[in-house]
Amino acid sequence: MNNRQAIRALVRKDIRSVTASVQLWLPMLIVPLIIGIIMPSALLWAASRMELRSLGNISFLLESLDALTHSGQIPQLASMPTDNHRIVYYLAMYMFAPLFLIIPVMASSILTANSFAGEKERKTLEGLLFTPISMDTLFKGKVLAALIPSLLLSWVTFLIYGIIANILMYPMFGTLMFPNLNWIILVVWVVPACSLMVILLNVLISAKVHGFQEAYQLGGLIVLPLIALVAGQASGMLLIGPWMLLMIGALLLLISMVLLRFVTLWNSRQQLAESQI
Amino acid sequence: MIEATNISKQFKVHQALQDVSFTVKQGSVTGLIGPNGSGKTTLIRIMNGVLGASSGQVTINGLDTAREAEKVLAICGTLTEQSGLYENMSGRDNLTFFADVFGLKHAQKRIDELVTLFELQDYQHRKVGTYSTGMKKRLGLARVLLHRPSILFLDEPTNGLDPDGIQMVLRIIRQLNQEEKMTILVSSHVLSQLSAVCDRYIFLEKGRIVEEGTEQEIVSRYLSTPKLEVEADMPDGWHTATDYTPEIISAHQAMFQLTSREDIPLLLRQLTEHGQVYQARITGSDLESIYFAIREAHHHE
Repeated sequence: MNNRQAIRALVRKDIRSVTASVQLWLPMLIVPLIIGIIMPSALLWAASRMELRSLGNISFLLESLDALTHSGQIPQLASMPTDNHRIVYYLAMYMFAPLFLIIPVMASSILTANSFAGEKERKTLEGLLFTPISMDTLFKGKVLAALIPSLLLSWVTFLIYGIIANILMYPMFGTLMFPNLNWIILVVWVVPACSLMVILLNVLISAKVHGFQEAYQLGGLIVLPLIALVAGQASGMLLIGPWMLLMIGALLLLISMVLLRFVTLWNSRQQLAESQI
Repeated sequence: MIEATNISKQFKVHQALQDVSFTVKQGSVTGLIGPNGSGKTTLIRIMNGVLGASSGQVTINGLDTAREAEKVLAICGTLTEQSGLYENMSGRDNLTFFADVFGLKHAQKRIDELVTLFELQDYQHRKVGTYSTGMKKRLGLARVLLHRPSILFLDEPTNGLDPDGIQMVLRIIRQLNQEEKMTILVSSHVLSQLSAVCDRYIFLEKGRIVEEGTEQEIVSRYLSTPKLEVEADMPDGWHTATDYTPEIISAHQAMFQLTSREDIPLLLRQLTEHGQVYQARITGSDLESIYFAIREAHHHE
C-alpha cells in the first residue's frame, strides 16, 4: 500500500468536493473577504481621514489608546503626531489580528465537517472503510485536505490585507509598517496551530454526529473564545504581544496533541463503521 | 477459505447475529439468503473486519479479520447496497481515486479493462450523480474489482437492475468465479437469480443460520413429499395409465402428489408405458419455494 499515493488522492478528492459545491466555497470566500479585507480596509481608511474626537461612539477606543500610550505598552504610539496615526496603527497592527483567526477557524470547521460528517451523510465513508487504507493514512489525508486550503485561504487573505494596510498607512507614516512581529507569529505559528486544533476537534465532533450541518454548528462554537480575544484587544484589557502569541500557539498545539490522542482512540475502523450504521 | 466460528453481534438492544458458524470453500459461490434485517449485511461487514463481532471469530485464509483487517481488505472486494461512490465526480475519476487509495500501479490500464467489462465506456466521464441505479451498480462492481481481489462479497448486487443488467451481473459473477477462481459470497432475496450462480446456500433468519448446503441437499430435506406436474398425451385417460391418483388440470396436464422422491421414476415409467410424456417437473422445488418452506419451518423458533 502506497500511503503517499492514497493521501494525495484523499486530499485531491476532498478539495474537489469543496470546489464543486457553491454552498461550501462561497462562505469560505465571503468571510475572509469581509473580515480580512473589506472591513479592515474600510475602517483603516475611515480612521486615517476622520476627526476622531468628534465621533462619540469610538471614545472607548481612544481612551484605551491613551491608556496604552501612557503605560508604554506600545512604545511607538507615544511618538505619533495625531490620534489618527495612533488609531490607524493600533487597528492595523493589533486589533484586527484576532479577527484573522476567525478565517482558519471557519474554513477548517467547514472543510472538516464536509470531509468527515459529510462523507458519513452521503454514505461514502463505508466505501473507504472497505479499502485496505490504514486509519492513520485516512486521517492524515483528511486532516491535510482541510489544513492546506485553510492555511492557503488565511495566508492569501493576510497578503491582500498586508498590501492594502501598507497602501493606506504609507502616506501617513512614510514607511512600510506592515507586518510587525506580532503578525508574522500569528500567521506562521498561531494560524497553523489553531487550524490543526479546530480540525481535530471537528474530527471528534464529526465522528459522533450524523451529518454536516450538525457537525458544522457544534464546531462553530470554537469562534466564541475568539470573540473574547477581539473584545479584549478592543478594550485594551488584553494586549496580545509576541510572547503571548507564541504561548497561545504552543497551547493550541498542546490541545491538538491531546485531541489527536482521542481521535486515534475513538476512531478505529470498526468504531467508524458502527457509528454510521 | 472463509471460516466463521460462533459469530454474535449485538447493537445496543438489538441482537443482529447469534452464534453463526459456517465455512466457505475456496473457489465456491455461496448464496447468503434471508429476509431484510436477517443480518446478511452485518455478517458481510464482520467478515471483512470492518465491523467487530461481539463474540466469535472469522478467519480468511488463516487471517483473523478483526485483528488483520487491512490484510484481509487487500484480498477482498466488497460491494454493499450503498455503492460508496462520489456523486460529484465522474465514473472514471471515482475509479482513479479508489485505485490510488488501493495504491495500484498501472491503474489506468486496469480501469480501461473494467470500464470495458462493465460496458461503461460511454458514461465514464459523466458525473456519477447523473447515473441510473444500474450504471451505479456496475461502476460499484468495477470499483471493488480494481485491486483484483481473490474474495468477493456482494450484498444485493442485482437490486435495482433491469433484466439486462441482472444478466450482466450474473454473467460476470460466473466469469470471475470460473476464469479467475474467485471465491464469491453473494447475498440476495431474488432467489431465482442466485440459483443460476451459487454452489451452496446459507439461509439466515433473525440473525441465526437456519439452513445450509447445496440446492439438492436442501431440496431433499424440505421436499420429502414432491408434487409432480406432468404434460403428456394419454389416449386411454390419466386414471387407467397409473396407480397414482392424478389431479387432472386438463386433457394433457395432470398433477401427482407423491409420498417420496422414489415414487417419481415409478410414476414416469408407468406413464411412458401408456402414452407420450412430453414434460414432467417437480413443483415447489425451486429455491424460492424452498425459501418459504424453510421460513415456515423456523417461523415459531
